[in-house]
Amino acid sequence: MIDLLQILIEGALVGLVYGLVAISFVVIYRASKIINLAQGEVLVVGAFLLWTFSEGAAAAGYAIPMPVVIVLTLTGCVIFGWLVERTIFRPLIGQPAFTIFMAGVALLILLRGLTQLVWGAQSRSIPVILPEGAITLGPFLVNTRLLIGALFTVVLTVALHAFFTRSRLGLRLAAVAEDHTTAQSLGVSVKQAIAVAWVLGTVVATSAAVVLLSGSILSLEVAVIGFKALPVALLGGMESIRGAPLAGLIIGILEALCSAYLDPVTNGAASGLLPYVAMVAVLLIRPYGLFGWRRIERL
Amino acid sequence: MLTLANVDVVYGGVIQVLRSANLEVREGQMVVLLGANGAGKTTTLRAISGLLHADHGAVTAGGISFAGRDITHQDPSETVKAGLVQVLEGRRVLEHLTVYQNLMVGAHLRRDRAAVKSDLNKVYDFFPALPALLNRIAGYLSGGEMQMVLIGRALMARPRLLILDEPSMGLAPILTQQLFRTIGRIKREEGLTVLLVEQNARAAIAQCDYGYIMEGGRIVLHGSRQELEGNQDVQEFYLGLGASNERVSYREVKHYRRRKRWLG
Repeated sequence: MIDLLQILIEGALVGLVYGLVAISFVVIYRASKIINLAQGEVLVVGAFLLWTFSEGAAAAGYAIPMPVVIVLTLTGCVIFGWLVERTIFRPLIGQPAFTIFMAGVALLILLRGLTQLVWGAQSRSIPVILPEGAITLGPFLVNTRLLIGALFTVVLTVALHAFFTRSRLGLRLAAVAEDHTTAQSLGVSVKQAIAVAWVLGTVVATSAAVVLLSGSILSLEVAVIGFKALPVALLGGMESIRGAPLAGLIIGILEALCSAYLDPVTNGAASGLLPYVAMVAVLLIRPYGLFGWRRIERL
Repeated sequence: MLTLANVDVVYGGVIQVLRSANLEVREGQMVVLLGANGAGKTTTLRAISGLLHADHGAVTAGGISFAGRDITHQDPSETVKAGLVQVLEGRRVLEHLTVYQNLMVGAHLRRDRAAVKSDLNKVYDFFPALPALLNRIAGYLSGGEMQMVLIGRALMARPRLLILDEPSMGLAPILTQQLFRTIGRIKREEGLTVLLVEQNARAAIAQCDYGYIMEGGRIVLHGSRQELEGNQDVQEFYLGLGASNERVSYREVKHYRRRKRWLG
């Protein structure tokens, strides 16, 4: 019983971190109606920026204090997100979905190549940013880094939800998420809103990188997290900020259960497969995800 | 306040929809733009608001000015900021947001919180049914309720010129009447200028100060309310009255209309 609960706790925490990456998909999708296939690569670029300003700078003889590193990294990824939108996706506004999909694939390959070109193929170690170790809660051990990440996800979800429903800028983004022409008729600059969404999505992805990689190893393979979080985003509903962490919980817990009970008999295949099985199952019943926007059709 | 001078609009680079349209809306007036389907009414409105782009349309000749400024190729967000707000046709509420959020989106360009609040109360005053609906999801409202949200949302932007594209579409006659009465009241109390596109000619003419009639992308007739009401053609085409003020059947009107177009 204790074992089971321990598995559930770990699964829930990991799931909430998936939820964090899923939020970055959702933020971008809402405004631009683009599912950014390269979101994992975007996260890796954010992580490499983090490495550059911390270990990289230290190796070159400049020790930058951690808070400044974080600020520099976030500034870097604001510029990076804006550049991606400006150079690749803005010129494609109004083009067919397939063109945009192919541009997404191209971006994925391009970012992989560029990352390797700029930072090299060897893996890098990311400094410890969040506290290591675990806290004991009764009979359970809770990983501190994941706990902080999970709490961050929850706080961010609440904050983003309030932002999208109350603030002027957030309402603008919400209007763009609904319909571009209507938003325009209300005086919302759709281009500006999409740019803001990309920047926001990139920042969220990079914060997920901090949670995932603090004190561990960064390599190009980390980008796989993008494809792990995509089913979470689809499951939660591509328009729903609050759906993402909830779907993350579901996937995280199922995955942890799978890896504890099914992986030993399936050579470890079950837990990798599960998120996609769960996603397909749910999408068959609710194509717009658990909390996504169902098209309201009226006659 | 709003002037269109010899405006041509071309869609997709080949299809000319508006030919040399001239139109003027004076401050404080309610101007109505009438015409059959496909006459170019909505295109005219989209040209004014700078929303042609989405349909690959463009103003290729002539100019549009609002409050003394040229807005022919202006970005819609600038136009709204200047006080020209359009309610598009087809009940385009933000479906998944609540009624309250819909109203607040209308005020997204404004920083004057206190004034926004008092405008919100004004909107509730014009549409007393709204306060009870604030937390409802807008996509599930009835047609009449949506229309209230749309006009309320436009008012939240504090417009000087309000453009309405067929607000009565799909509404029951009684609701249409109520709606026009409210629009008239808003216009009087807020000193608003209104440009109204309508199929419902009778109700619209009764409310307006001045009217334009479009056909085939041209303005074919214009005049004050009295002139329009007295005009033989308007009576026959739009009000369904014969020469001796009896109602004419639709068949006769259609026949007459076709003949008239060929001859004229």
